[in-house]
Amino acid sequence: MGIVGNTTRSPNFRRNRILLTAVLCIYLVYTLVPLFYVVTASTKTNADLFGTFGLWFAGEFNLWQNLVDLFTHQNGVFSRWLGNTFFYSLTSAVGAAIFALLAGYAFAKYEFRGKKLLFALVLGAVMIPQTALVIPLYLMLSKIGLLNTPLAVILPSLVFPPGVFLMRVYVDEAVSNEIIDAGRVDGAGELHILSSLTFRLLMPGFATVFILAFVAAWNNYFLPLVVLSTSENFPVTVGLSIWYASATLGSGGNLLFTVVMTGALVSILPVILAFLIMQRFWQGGLSAGAVKA
Amino acid sequence: MAVITLSGITKSFGTVHIIRGVDLTIGDGEFVIFVGPSGSGKSTLLRLIAGLEETTGGRILIDGTDVTDRGPAERALSMVFQSYALYPTKTVRQNMSFGLEVARLPRAEIDRRVNAAAAALKLEAYMDRKPAALSGGQRQRVAIGRAIVREPVAFLFDEPLSNLDAALRVDMRVEIAKLHQRLKATMIYVTHDQVEAMTLADKIVVLDGGVIQQVGAPLELYERPVNLFVAQFIGSPKMNVLAARREGELIRVGSGAVPLPFATSRPIAHIGIRPEGLEVVSSGEGHIEGKVDVVERLGSDTFAYVIVPELGTLTIRIVGNAAGIALDQSIGLRLAAGQIHLFDTEGRRIAEGD
Ligand SMILES: Nc1ncnc2c1ncn2[C@@H]1O[C@H](COP(=O)(O)OP(=O)(O)O)[C@@H](O)[C@H]1O
Ligand SMILES: [Mg+2]
Repeated sequence: MGIVGNTTRSPNFRRNRILLTAVLCIYLVYTLVPLFYVVTASTKTNADLFGTFGLWFAGEFNLWQNLVDLFTHQNGVFSRWLGNTFFYSLTSAVGAAIFALLAGYAFAKYEFRGKKLLFALVLGAVMIPQTALVIPLYLMLSKIGLLNTPLAVILPSLVFPPGVFLMRVYVDEAVSNEIIDAGRVDGAGELHILSSLTFRLLMPGFATVFILAFVAAWNNYFLPLVVLSTSENFPVTVGLSIWYASATLGSGGNLLFTVVMTGALVSILPVILAFLIMQRFWQGGLSAGAVKA
Repeated sequence: MAVITLSGITKSFGTVHIIRGVDLTIGDGEFVIFVGPSGSGKSTLLRLIAGLEETTGGRILIDGTDVTDRGPAERALSMVFQSYALYPTKTVRQNMSFGLEVARLPRAEIDRRVNAAAAALKLEAYMDRKPAALSGGQRQRVAIGRAIVREPVAFLFDEPLSNLDAALRVDMRVEIAKLHQRLKATMIYVTHDQVEAMTLADKIVVLDGGVIQQVGAPLELYERPVNLFVAQFIGSPKMNVLAARREGELIRVGSGAVPLPFATSRPIAHIGIRPEGLEVVSSGEGHIEGKVDVVERLGSDTFAYVIVPELGTLTIRIVGNAAGIALDQSIGLRLAAGQIHLFDTEGRRIAEGD
């Protein structure tokens, strides 16, 4: 906090800090309460789920039984969904990150006709929610016969405009034109320069785009709901929502509520894990390895 | 070793014309320096030669082969960049060997060349370090080493010393001079530093606004600048330029006059005189009269800035500490006849006999 005239002891600084802390605390509570609810709910029996206070554990600890129910219900189809989600998210994120890297690199380092217009389109695409595109996508996918295949979910997810924007800014920052020129004088081709000279400088940006695309694909609900039709292709989001719907209809009995809750808990764990693993890329930060005269 | 020929080179970025018709031949083994004010197109011209920019017009020949449409790799040149442009994720050794690996040289040959360059540049102790762990001078050496190992037909330098501190800059300047003597390679070197240009160059090319103003040996440019731009750009402190008018066998400058140094029929608009061409005499005895405004004593030399009515401030260089000169003193100035440069209304030099 190096704001001139605002030392850590000045009343002004304290007032600001208290206010800021309060706002952040409210935000934290707002974010964590639903999460905590999922955690407590998945340890309860169905009876306790409705009979006890939502934000605390019940007397009986039922998590293990819930997990067993989750993975055995309907012949263990949940594992299949989890696997699907994992597969869709991983391929989407790898592909989206590579495309974003290449596109962002081109926007940052090459001059070509129509560059401004194309980049304006990318920015425009950032503003459009993916949900708005689902129906047109459905029609296109049905035309080329890809409905109810993994590609129906993966192909649209490879297009990740925020990633392109992010990579452009990042490449601008992290790679100097002179390094690329030095590589060219040394005789290397453009892809060779990218892969062996500049890619490692871009790892933090690449990892960021990867994880954002991964989470977006992991949480994607509406697109797979529309383009997939058989249970064996569903990701967790769609599968759980269908269980939830059948629970409220009462067809499968009340048992399903805790199973859905436990499924939700299981499905967010890998995302949290991914963030923890990726963190080391951000800690290294922008300046790692970069040589500025 | 290479002869590089530029003929009719032009370069525009969009509608902005940066290089506007450059013709130049750089001889085998020559050390050529491009100087000019910032934005005059020095770097652009160098990058055109390197193949990093495409020409808008004109041809570039290396040893008689037209390379205008070839990429940088095919021109077999080496370049040293202002920011050094070392590969940050590679060690010193990897930085130097990268280009050779790209060219698929045998491992033994790569090692031989890299080790030889490392020894010549005293880099052996740092071969496994990353650039971030090197000082500015060491990074500069690595950049030069990376250029040497490729055994290029010519070296291109873009202000290679401008990021170093003053003392180191002098050392590296001497090293580059030695490098040129040792390799006898063609070198093209961009700088805006007077001293680098005067001391290193076989030939200086003065650029302004994307046009070559003059090409010549350093002293030739100093002694016979072809126009007012070169006259004022080469030399530090710069040449005094005075508005002048011919009056028979005299040249009138302000309220004073000097004899015409040589016969000429061309109209005279300005005269130029270097700071060492002005001699301080007692008031009333000089060609022109002035008043001392500022005195800078450097020990070996003294610079005096003298306000002359109608002509502005003139710079005078006096050898020694000039004990006799005081602030606000009224003095006379004599212009040494052999050191007067004449310029016409377009700013072009008037030579003896014109
Ligand atoms: N890629 C580019 N696009 C547009 N203008 C450029 C580009 N590169 C250089 N210029 C312009 O060309 C002019 C000359 O630049 P440069 O050759 O770097 O000058 P110098 O090295 O003599 O200082 C400058 O006005 C600069 O802004
Ligand atoms: Mg420059």
